[in-house]
Order: sequence, then structure tokens, then C-alpha cells
Amino acid sequence: MSDNQTNTSIDKTPTTHFGFQQVEKNQKASMVANVFDSVAAKYDVMNDLMSMGVHRLWKRYTIDCSGVRNGQKVLDIAGGTGDLTAKFSRLVGPKGRVTLADINLSMLKVGRDKLRDRGLVGNIDYVQADAEALPFPDNHFDVVTMAFGLRNVTEKQNALNSIYRVLKPGGRLLVLEFSKPASAQLSKIYDMYSFHILPKMGQLVANDAESYQYLAESIRMHPDQETLKGMFETAGFEQCDYQNLTGGIVALHRGYKF
Amino acid sequence: MPATALLSAVVESSVNKLLQLDPDSQARLAQLQGARLIAFIDPLPQGVMLVFSEQIDVLMVPESFDTIVAQLGSQDCCIKTSLQTLPELKNTNMLTRLIQQNKLQVEGELAVAQKVSGLFQQLDIDVEEIVAGYTNDIIAHQSMRVAERIGQHAERVFANLATITGNALVEEKQLAAHRLAVMHFSDQVNSIRDDVAKLEARLQKLEQQ
Ligand SMILES: C[S@@+](CC[C@H](N)C(=O)[O-])C[C@H]1O[C@@H](n2cnc3c(N)ncnc32)[C@H](O)[C@@H]1O
Repeated sequence: MSDNQTNTSIDKTPTTHFGFQQVEKNQKASMVANVFDSVAAKYDVMNDLMSMGVHRLWKRYTIDCSGVRNGQKVLDIAGGTGDLTAKFSRLVGPKGRVTLADINLSMLKVGRDKLRDRGLVGNIDYVQADAEALPFPDNHFDVVTMAFGLRNVTEKQNALNSIYRVLKPGGRLLVLEFSKPASAQLSKIYDMYSFHILPKMGQLVANDAESYQYLAESIRMHPDQETLKGMFETAGFEQCDYQNLTGGIVALHRGYKF
Repeated sequence: MPATALLSAVVESSVNKLLQLDPDSQARLAQLQGARLIAFIDPLPQGVMLVFSEQIDVLMVPESFDTIVAQLGSQDCCIKTSLQTLPELKNTNMLTRLIQQNKLQVEGELAVAQKVSGLFQQLDIDVEEIVAGYTNDIIAHQSMRVAERIGQHAERVFANLATITGNALVEEKQLAAHRLAVMHFSDQVNSIRDDVAKLEARLQKLEQQ
């Protein structure tokens, strides 16, 4: 699959995909914002339900691969309700700093309240930011993570370029994202689950079938493992690799800035 | 992946639950704030890292021992040992001997490893009080009696087992267990004996009340 996310329609208005729909490029961000405004309150519970808790293991593995240490600066972009940030906050300790950044204020607020309730204060900054234009200095972070966020970004390559800029030399980027199942059989089961069961669950639990239909569609439109790896390289990342998790339903991509 | 991630998740939540059951452990944990203990235990495929803050985070380590050692900070300790040697680490006085015997390699702050050992060995969990929190004192008291009987039974089973095994070994010398295994086994029997003694003491205290 290629990342031909940007097309130009007959009347020359640049378009992109929003799930399976083609929409005007400048509308996608606000449509994605509507989705996450609408799911923010129930986001955590839906995540557990939809993935049967496995998302916690995928995130745990991402943290294992992050190599984050005491005193480091970490950016969790599209961090939403802060699952990764919570752990990073303890790993970097009082001398380190974690920035939880997200384009969506509702998600950030749910994340901030959750982390404060858990007593995680003092080394976390909450920043509303678009991954495509990060408001941070060059060469600033030791590690950047993006979990289940990249597929929602309008121009993914811009986001990767922007992350590359804010990473310190020697720093690493980890992108955890839904991907392409390695076997055709798994792909079939997974399709059935995402297009039939998932929206129904969304309707039942969050009273919002549409958002979960978008979720399923956006996963299919996301670049596959090799394409994304190529985009990492285009941004300038080196030693890029990826690892399929749960048969490729999810992949963890990693790249270094040297 | 998820298998190792699942393992670390289970270990992390068990270890933290255990510490919560002993209110005194918080003071010992506080002494470890900001420290990390990384253990490479043969034949486990990956290292395990314990990161200490107001709780313990457990991570799997995809990097090699040498890579980790090269990046150790001032509050880090990295050890390399085997599953068989693990029970011997309980006795911190033995560490030097184990290092000399090449059964243990320690890099970084040895004090971290010693404090971690203390954190767990000094755990004092009042099972009866916890059970009473869920039920009431009488049921807790009864449960302790049952536990005591189970303990005595287990001790008898272990003692019989020791006799049977001992006899068998006279005839089948080649099956003789490694000295360390025998020591570990006797440790376990002793620890059960100690637990039973503790339970008896508690029982007596309760009966006097
Ligand atoms: C599925 S959630 C993932 C949240 C969290 N990282 C996790 O794994 O649970 C996707 C998040 O990406 C955010 N997002 C979407 N587009 C973004 C952009 N261009 N820049 C930053 N965040 C964005 C959304 O607001 C949402 O919080």
C-alpha cells in the first residue's frame, strides 16, 4: 500500500482520506478533532474493551524498546490520555521531563486529570500541538513516541520531518500504529472484527458507532510496514526497523537520528 | 512480544501489590528512589529491569548485558547470574563468594542490589489482618487455623519426602541432587517451619484476647 493520501480533485481542491471518504485536506484535522472530542471521555474503557486489554502489552513493549532513562527528555506526541506518559514520568524521575502533546484539548484534559489523580505531577508538561508543526526547539528530546496517532495526521511525512527536527542527535523515534496483518487468514478475521463488531461495540458502550467506523477505516488507509519504514528514511531517520506485534495487527517502527 | 510484556506486567503488579501489604516497605522503597536494578538471569532470553520510584516499574531489556553496562548511571546496578544461583542471593553476605566463583557478575552500585534484597526479605505481611479486612476477626482466626493445619501437613509431607528421597539416593547415587538444590530444599522446609511457628504464636495471641 502506498501513502497516496493527498490527491487533487477535478476542481483542483487538494483532498485526502478520512477513513474511506475523500475530504478536503484542510478539513481533515477538524474532522479528526470531532472524532476524539466525541470519544475522549470513554476512550480508555473502549481501548481496553476493543483490544481485550492487549493495547497495554503493545504499549509496554514500546516502553521496553524506548531505552528511556533517568534525567531524559521525552515527547509523547498524540499522547491522548497519557498511558505512555505515566510510565515515562516515573522512568525519567524528577530530573527528567515528559511532554504529553496532543492536538485535541479534550483528550489532553482527560489525560491530565488521570495522571494527576495517580499522583504524577512535577515532571510532566501538557502541550496542545499539531504533530506536523511541533512547537519545540531543534534537537530537544532524547526520545519521541507516537502511539496510535500517526494514522490520524493529515500529512504524515510532515509529522515525521517535524519529529526528526526536535529529536537530539542520538535520539530515537518509536511509532506504534495499527498495520497490515502478516497472514491473509488473520486479515480476514481482523476485517470482520473491525468492520462488524467494533462499530457495534462503539455504539453500545460509547453510543458512537461512527467514530469507531472511522477508526476501522483509518487503519486500512494507513501505510503498511514497509511504506512507513520508507517514510522514516525520507525524514532522515537511520537504522530504521519495525517489529510486527500480534501478527502485524500492530507494528512498532523505530528510527534513530544521528 | 506480548509473552514477555505479559510476564513483566504480571511481575510488576504482583510485586507492587506485595509491597502495599507491608506498610513499612515504603520507607525501604524510598531509599531506592531513582535507582535501577537490571538483572540478566540465564537462561531467560532477556534482561529484567526494576526501576524504583514510589512504586516499582518492571521492564524487559532488549539490549545486551555489555550495552547496558556501558550506559549505567550512578544509581544503577546490573547483575548477571543464573536461575540456579538466584536463591543464594538472598544471603547478601554470600555475594563476594558468588562473585569469586563466577556465579555472579555485578557492575555499578552494589548497594542497590543489597537494598533491593532487603526490600523483599524484610517484607512483613500480616496475613491475618488482611484476611480480617475482607471478612471478620472470627473467620480470619478460623482461616489461620486451617492454614496452620495445612502448614503442618506440608511439613510432614516434606519430611517424608526427604526420607524417601534420602533412601532412594543410597541406591541411586547418580541421581544425587546438587548440593545447592538440597540447601535450597532445606531452606524451604525451614521457612515453612518458621511460618508455622509464626502462625502458632499469632493464634496464641488471639486466643488470649
Ligand atoms: C487513538 S488516540 C491515541 C492516544 C494515545 N497515544 C494512546 O495510545 O492511547 C490518537 C490521538 O492522536 C491525536 N491526534 C490526531 N491528530 C493529531 C495531530 N495532527 N497532532 C497531534 N495529535 C494528533 C488525537 O487527538 C488522539 O488523542
